[in-house]
Amino acid sequence: MDPDFRGDSDHHDGTSDATPGGYTEQRRPGELGFAIFLSVASLFLLYSAYGISGFEALSAPGAVPMATTLVMAVAALVVTARTARFPLVPTETLGKDILPPLVLVFIGFLILFGLLLKPLGFVPTAAIFLVVSVKLLARKGWGYTFAVALGSLVIIWIVFRVIFTVLLPAGILPEAEFIQFFRNLVSGGAS
Amino acid sequence: MDTILAMLTIFTQPELLVLVGVGTFAGIYIGAIPGLSVTMAVSILISFTFSWDVYPAISLMVGIYMGGVYGGSRTAILLNIPGAPSAIATAMDGYPMAKRGEAGQAIGVTTVMSFFGGLIGILVLALAAPFVSDFALTFQPRDYMLLAVLGILLVGSLSSGSLVKGIFAGALGIAIGAVGRDPLTFTERFTFDLQIMEGGISFIAVMIGMFGVSEALLQLQNVGMKAVRQKISKIVPSFGTIRKYLPLSLQTSSIGVIIGALPGTGGDIAALMAYDHAKRVTKNPERPFGEGAMEGLVAPETANNAAVGGAFIPMMTLGIPGDAVTAIMIGALFIHGLNPGPMLMIDQPDMFWFIVGALLTANVFMLIFGLTGIKIFTKIVEMPRSVIIPLILLLSIVGAYAVNNSISDVYWMLGFGVFGYFMRHYGYPLGPVILGVILSRLLDDNWRRAIISEREDLGRFFEGIFTSPLSLVLFVAVILIFVSQTPLWMSMKRRVFGKATS
Repeated sequence: MDPDFRGDSDHHDGTSDATPGGYTEQRRPGELGFAIFLSVASLFLLYSAYGISGFEALSAPGAVPMATTLVMAVAALVVTARTARFPLVPTETLGKDILPPLVLVFIGFLILFGLLLKPLGFVPTAAIFLVVSVKLLARKGWGYTFAVALGSLVIIWIVFRVIFTVLLPAGILPEAEFIQFFRNLVSGGAS
Repeated sequence: MDTILAMLTIFTQPELLVLVGVGTFAGIYIGAIPGLSVTMAVSILISFTFSWDVYPAISLMVGIYMGGVYGGSRTAILLNIPGAPSAIATAMDGYPMAKRGEAGQAIGVTTVMSFFGGLIGILVLALAAPFVSDFALTFQPRDYMLLAVLGILLVGSLSSGSLVKGIFAGALGIAIGAVGRDPLTFTERFTFDLQIMEGGISFIAVMIGMFGVSEALLQLQNVGMKAVRQKISKIVPSFGTIRKYLPLSLQTSSIGVIIGALPGTGGDIAALMAYDHAKRVTKNPERPFGEGAMEGLVAPETANNAAVGGAFIPMMTLGIPGDAVTAIMIGALFIHGLNPGPMLMIDQPDMFWFIVGALLTANVFMLIFGLTGIKIFTKIVEMPRSVIIPLILLLSIVGAYAVNNSISDVYWMLGFGVFGYFMRHYGYPLGPVILGVILSRLLDDNWRRAIISEREDLGRFFEGIFTSPLSLVLFVAVILIFVSQTPLWMSMKRRVFGKATS
């Protein structure tokens, strides 16, 4: 069995755990940059690990961090050297295959989500997030968008807030009253 | 007698039985829906079941694990997309069968064979684990350290392409695990004098980021992709078919258990090796391998489910996970205040037998759900990605937040999500990172214990390794994996096997 086998030739993008992306003999756009970044970061961490306790003793708190960051640095440098030798994949570009605008937009959404979660509370933030992202991805009418987004939010909220009893920031909604109502309905739950 | 009672705990509390059932059911679908993975589901679930008692939490996770390993085969057969790493080999003959319109038969045989393999794995777990844990009591700290290194290396080397990338990922995981105050001396490590780093990085945030967010971000590129509708008719296989493949499935189950039991190797490798084995021993398949041979379906599916039981052996007895999912399960046990390892088997044997019971039950549920409900199944698999992706992201955020109620965990998760996204694109395996994070503490503690007991003398440390057969075997294995990556070895390999293997 070829250890480099990754499902089939159409799945180079790592879309499942089973098929890590990348090519074996070519480099993707940005791959070299990533490898260089990893090398620099590892060397910096190695320096930082040296700062923990230096070469004080083999059992010092810095010993294992130094060893691991050394391994990281060496591995990253080897990867960089290997990657640099491969030819670029001719059909791919950074903006189309690695970091398309949609991915950047979603990363932005997630950052915003984190910023709004505390002040606004979970339910309103999640509602905005779901409506906007379903609208953006599905490109269907507002009726569909609202129905799907809010419908799934209600299910998620009931499952996680009431059954799993996960604490979520309440924010501007009077959540406690709702919950008591549901508790009485599903008395017992899994608590 | 106590043992049997502990195994039957699950039946005395209907709530637990329901949870295993729900977990298995959910696992099958999670494994089957492209874009959702078991690793993702279990990592997100840890944070939600955090406040539960340990039994219900374990019941749910065991169900999802068992169901998910099996569920991955469905998409492999129907869509040629392995839903889980362990289903890679299944796609090779399963998809050609589906293309011929034999999807129902393929699913039926897969289900029964998965059940059979799972059963054998669990039996071996029940019989072997007590002995292994007795044996493990004689392990020295250095053996644990070597085992941990070996585990991380094996995950990095066998589960996917480049070993160097795997080694990098494993080391990165260990480094992430070391962030914060050192538990023994209270020295700060990698904190850069930031207060938020002092408590370390929540491993749940790392896990959810790497397996949840990064996967969802990748899926954004396939939003428009539609699931292929397959006509599925009769799926319950005839007894004759089962009997015909019984001898082969016995062999491949044994392969599965053994590979699963090696620390660091799980169902994916077991399945590939079993597939290879089937190819070698089947002299006259009805159809050639790769074009829809039934043997090519039976072998990986028995092996990957047998590996589940196998993977629990090192996890329960040594505290060393067999793959990414068991690494996450160990994390879950930690969170519930349990410490997997030989002492767990001695202090809380009930816990072990309960898990065996839960696995058995999940296996039966898998058989039942696998052979029924095909109609609902096709509906769920066709759920549009434009809805699934936002939901995964939402659940990831909730999950990361829920454990410590802290927004900074959400940002860690996001950071690791984006990092993991690039890692996936560039072929760095994510499994070793998680294994590294989980094993970081064990490795660090045992290294220091080992070297202190040798009075800080490396010479004595190696003398210890070379005079103990167990340590020596582990040490040689670690060295071999490293040597296999050096240019010298590669050129030798090229000379021996020809250029194709390079």
